[in-house]
Amino acid sequence: MTDAPQGSGPGGGGGRGGDDQRDLELIAQWKAGDQRAASALVERHAAALARFAVASGERNEVDELVQDTFVRAFNSLDGFRGDSSFRTWLFTIERRLLLDRRRADKRRRDRLEIQEDDAATEYDALDSVVADETERRMRDAVTRLSPTQREVFTLRVGEGLSYKEIADAVGTTEGAARVHYHNAMRAVKEFLDE
Amino acid sequence: MNDCLNAEMRDRLPDLLHERLEASARAAVMAHVDGCADCRDELELLRVARGTLIKATPRVDLNFIVEALPKAPSRARALSVPRRRVWTDWRVAAAAVLLIAGGSSYSLLGRHGGVVVRDTLVAQVSPPVTESATPEVQQAESARTAEAPTPRPEVVAEGPSEVSETSGLGTSRLGDLNEKQLKALLTEIDQLSPSPITEPDPVTLRVDTKGTTSPEGL
Ligand SMILES: [Zn+2]
Repeated sequence: MTDAPQGSGPGGGGGRGGDDQRDLELIAQWKAGDQRAASALVERHAAALARFAVASGERNEVDELVQDTFVRAFNSLDGFRGDSSFRTWLFTIERRLLLDRRRADKRRRDRLEIQEDDAATEYDALDSVVADETERRMRDAVTRLSPTQREVFTLRVGEGLSYKEIADAVGTTEGAARVHYHNAMRAVKEFLDE
Repeated sequence: MNDCLNAEMRDRLPDLLHERLEASARAAVMAHVDGCADCRDELELLRVARGTLIKATPRVDLNFIVEALPKAPSRARALSVPRRRVWTDWRVAAAAVLLIAGGSSYSLLGRHGGVVVRDTLVAQVSPPVTESATPEVQQAESARTAEAPTPRPEVVAEGPSEVSETSGLGTSRLGDLNEKQLKALLTEIDQLSPSPITEPDPVTLRVDTKGTTSPEGL
């Protein structure tokens, strides 16, 4: 096994009907004793989780965050009812872990809050591989989004999640997720039109 | 870049990009996009944004993640079940050995009328069962010792059910049953046997911890 593919994995994060069914099959296989099913689930979702970690402002230890997400997920698979997709459930777990980390960091650094500028800097630091001019401008546009807009934009555009799934993942309402998305899209367009 | 006024169609562009639309909805959105320059521009913007996000994804070491995952639950359970089966198998095997030994002993006793032959057989079959069922073996041996003077075919036939019971029940029941049988058989012998009994006192055996037996006084 090698590093996670930099693509969005099977299904590209969208068209999730068949992918969701495949996830359920793999979960059942793992519960039946097939450890390879766990590897397959990691392969399918690790890249998306890494992407969401970056969108959420995680700069360091993305591997650890993704690992912790999977470990927590597999330890509580009995609690996964399939009401949402497995990937959405993973996003929810990852975001909760991320918030826990930030709270711990805040206490450690005696900081009252994470500034949006800090988050933008964190996101910016990871995009050095984007060489194309159009993509570089797009990266800059996404960097300037608020943390919530960036999370919603990443899940909607990068992963193809529905507003309902986004709402589940980031802990908001479907309507709020839609508003955040359209505000993000407007901000991106305005930046690219400058 | 302008926003399309058809909010519904515009809202579905990310779903079109990710192929998350049903066939009919996809056809409708595609038809709209074909005739709408704003939606075509936005769809292209979405493609660029998606590509940018994918390129910005940090590499993740999958092995690092997989190695930390808990083991599949059923596999852990599966490891413990055979052990219990093995233990059960040994008990069944011990019971089977007792049946064979007991049945053979009665048969041989019936043929030879001696105790030494039976002891030899018990010594041969005892080692495999002494670890798992030593108390039962000893109790069963003692019980059969009390039956030594009654080498009748009926006893051999009844042996298996009695020994099987001792594997799961208290050994006092076996003793009670054997006494009843003994009394019944002695009564039959008194009524039917034409020859005198050469040894009126019952033979007693000394059982050591290795499961071997020897008749007292021999
Ligand atoms: Zn349009």
